Amino acid sequence: MKPDGVAAKAEPSDLDLVRGIKSGDGDAFEKMVQRYHARVYSLSYGVLRNAEDAEEATQDTFLTLYRKIGTFDETKKFFSWFYRVALNQAYSRARRRKPGTAVAIDDFLPKFSSDGHLASPELPDWSGSVEDEVIARELAGRAGEFIADLPAPYRDVIWMYDVEEMATSDIAETLRISIPALKSRLHRARLYVRQRLSEISKRPTQAEAR
Amino acid sequence: MTDWTCRQVILDLLIEYEDGTMPAADRADFERHVEMCPPCVRFLTTYRATGKTLKLLKLEEIPSDLAQSVLAFVRARAGRKA
Repeated sequence: MKPDGVAAKAEPSDLDLVRGIKSGDGDAFEKMVQRYHARVYSLSYGVLRNAEDAEEATQDTFLTLYRKIGTFDETKKFFSWFYRVALNQAYSRARRRKPGTAVAIDDFLPKFSSDGHLASPELPDWSGSVEDEVIARELAGRAGEFIADLPAPYRDVIWMYDVEEMATSDIAETLRISIPALKSRLHRARLYVRQRLSEISKRPTQAEAR
Repeated sequence: MTDWTCRQVILDLLIEYEDGTMPAADRADFERHVEMCPPCVRFLTTYRATGKTLKLLKLEEIPSDLAQSVLAFVRARAGRKA
């Protein structure tokens, strides 16, 4: 407990730390690492699916932060800028490892008949599978692979919104897109992942099981 | 009252229904379609299961020495003390 009359020292804001780093304050950089290393690692791991690569991408991200902090516009939100740096590092590393594998998302969107009905009405309902933790984690792993195959505009949005659970406004600012564009990309990316998960989750229907 | 098609429900309306930004009147029309359309029910439940599955990708364990390894990496490469 602190003695009476001694106010707790407020945590420095991101902008305080940015200014500290710009002026060569090593403590400010260390505080920034402490504040954001877990989020950067989590983001990197999601893209790269490998602990070693994620750690290296995290290191590169902070090195880029240190070297490029002078280009950060202090009127903008720091985390949006930094998240973009981290994404670029992760995707750059992913491209080096596995170049040119983006899927054509339209190939995996639902199909409809000319009167607007679903063209494949006998869809498997695998939603109950996610109640089983083992199966759910296996599906999540596959979903991560499917997301990694998406073109970047879709991959970034679904990752930030559905996995990282970032606020819509933060994602829009980070990616410099409008909210309607964000929603459109998010929905198409979800439709794609849903379709891919449906394809690997085909289970016998109750009628087939009888 | 509007009779939506499956195409409209799935491609145009589903995201607004799920994120709660759809106007009340449209929600009623949306739900009326889904109630009478088993394929859309299955589509909706698997769409929601997809979102639930994706949340499991969020990493909970971070290497305990990561912050120190990042600092050591940057300090070794930065021309001055980071």
